[in-house]
Amino acid sequence: MSAIDSINTSSEPTFTVAGFIAVCNQILEYSFPNVIIEGEVASFKVNQGKWVFFDLKEDEFTVNCFMPVNQLTAPISDGMKIQVRAIPKLTRWGKFSLTVQKVLPLGAGNIKKSFELLKRKLTAEGLFDPTKKRPLPSDLTKIGVISSTAAAGYRDFLKIIDNRWGGIKIFTINTLVQGISAPEQITRALDAFNQRGEVEVIVILRGGGSADDLSAFNDEQLVRAIATSRIPVLTGIGHEVDESLADLAADVRASTPSNAAEILVPDRSAMNIHLMNIKTQIQREFDHQITTVRDKIYHQMNNNFQEIQHHIDLKLQSLSETVKILHSFDPNAVLQRGYAILRSDSRTAHNFVPGETISITTHQQILTAEVTNAQKRNQ
Amino acid sequence: MPKNATNKKSLESRIEQLSEYSEWFYSDEFNLDEALDKYKESMRLAKGIEQDLTTLKNQVEVIGDFTKE
Repeated sequence: MSAIDSINTSSEPTFTVAGFIAVCNQILEYSFPNVIIEGEVASFKVNQGKWVFFDLKEDEFTVNCFMPVNQLTAPISDGMKIQVRAIPKLTRWGKFSLTVQKVLPLGAGNIKKSFELLKRKLTAEGLFDPTKKRPLPSDLTKIGVISSTAAAGYRDFLKIIDNRWGGIKIFTINTLVQGISAPEQITRALDAFNQRGEVEVIVILRGGGSADDLSAFNDEQLVRAIATSRIPVLTGIGHEVDESLADLAADVRASTPSNAAEILVPDRSAMNIHLMNIKTQIQREFDHQITTVRDKIYHQMNNNFQEIQHHIDLKLQSLSETVKILHSFDPNAVLQRGYAILRSDSRTAHNFVPGETISITTHQQILTAEVTNAQKRNQ
Repeated sequence: MPKNATNKKSLESRIEQLSEYSEWFYSDEFNLDEALDKYKESMRLAKGIEQDLTTLKNQVEVIGDFTKE
C-alpha cells in the first residue's frame, strides 16, 4: 500500500504534482481564459533583451507578471499604474503568474510618460517622418472606416459626409476604441482593409475622451500598423488638443471625426456654386466666340462689299470718261458749238472751188450754197 | 435608389471634365466646327452633375464586427 493510498479515505481527487498543476491551469483556462487587471508596476526588469518581468501591486497584494519583450507595446517603469490583459497560470514551480498579452498605461501622468518614451523611440525609427506622408486621394468613391459604430464621433462623421457629398461607399469595421483590447482590434481592422485592397483611404475615428480613453491610440503595435499601411490613413481622434502617436503616424491627421469628413470630401453647396460658375463661363465664352466669329464674318462681308463698290465706282468713272470722249466726237455736239459741215457731191470737201454748189449742215439747218470765192488758208 | 458611383465617373472627375471644356472655349484650340458639340456636351454634363449633387446618397456597410471576436 502506498502513502497516497493511506490518506485517501474518501473520494477526494488525487494528483501527481504535475497533474495537479495541469488541472489547476485547466480550471484557470476554463474560468478565466483572459483577465484584465489593474495595478502598479514594481520590480520591472528585462532579461536577456527578450523577457519582461514585473510585479503588479495593490497595497500589500502582489502578482508576478511575465511577457515577451516584443509584446510590450507601451513603455512602462516602476511606479506606473497600468492595466494588463493576461492569462493566469500556475508555473511548474507552483508559483502563480500572469502571462501578459497587453499593457496599457493608466492615469494622465503615466500615459504622458509612456507616450514620450514611445514617441522618442518611434521618431528615431522614422515612423513619423513628414516626408513619408502621402496625400489623400481627392476623388474618393470608397472609404474604409474603423470605429465603434455606437460612438457619437462615428455618427458625426457619417452625418457630415452625407451633408457634404454623395456617391461614396463607406465600409466600416466595428471595433472598440478604448480599453486594452482596442489597439489589437483596430490593428486587425487595418490589416483587413489592406488585405481587401478595395478602399482608397482608411479613416480611424474616435470622439473625445480622457487620456485613459484615448491611450489605446498610443499602442506601439497599432502605431506601426498605421505607419506601414499600404492604403493612406486619416485619423480623427479626440479633440483638437488631443495628439496621439496614431495621429503622428497617420498620413493626415484631422482634429475631430467631423473634421475628418470635411477633409475627405468637398462641400456640395460650394461645389454647386463652382458648377454654376463653370456653366456661366462656358455659356459666356461660347456666346463671345460666336459673336466674335459673326462680327468677323460681317466685317469681312463689309470689306468685300466695299471692295466691289470701289471696283464698280472705278468702272463707272472710266465709263463716264469714255462717254465724255465719245460725246466729244459726236458731230451734233460740234454743230451745237457753232461749227458747220460742208459737203460737195463732186469732190472732196477739202478743196472747194468758186462756183461750186455745196451743202452746209449747221446745228439747226441744212443749207445749199454756191462758193463765190476760195482761198487757201495759212495755218 | 442611389446611383452606384463605381459604375460611372465620379462627381469630381466629371466636374474636372467640365472645367476642361471651359478651358477649351478660352484656348487657342477653340474652333467653330467643334464648339456647338462641346457646348451641348458641357451643358449635358453640368445638368447631370447638378442632379447627382442633389440626389446622390452615400452607402454605408458594416463589413466586420471585431468586438464580438
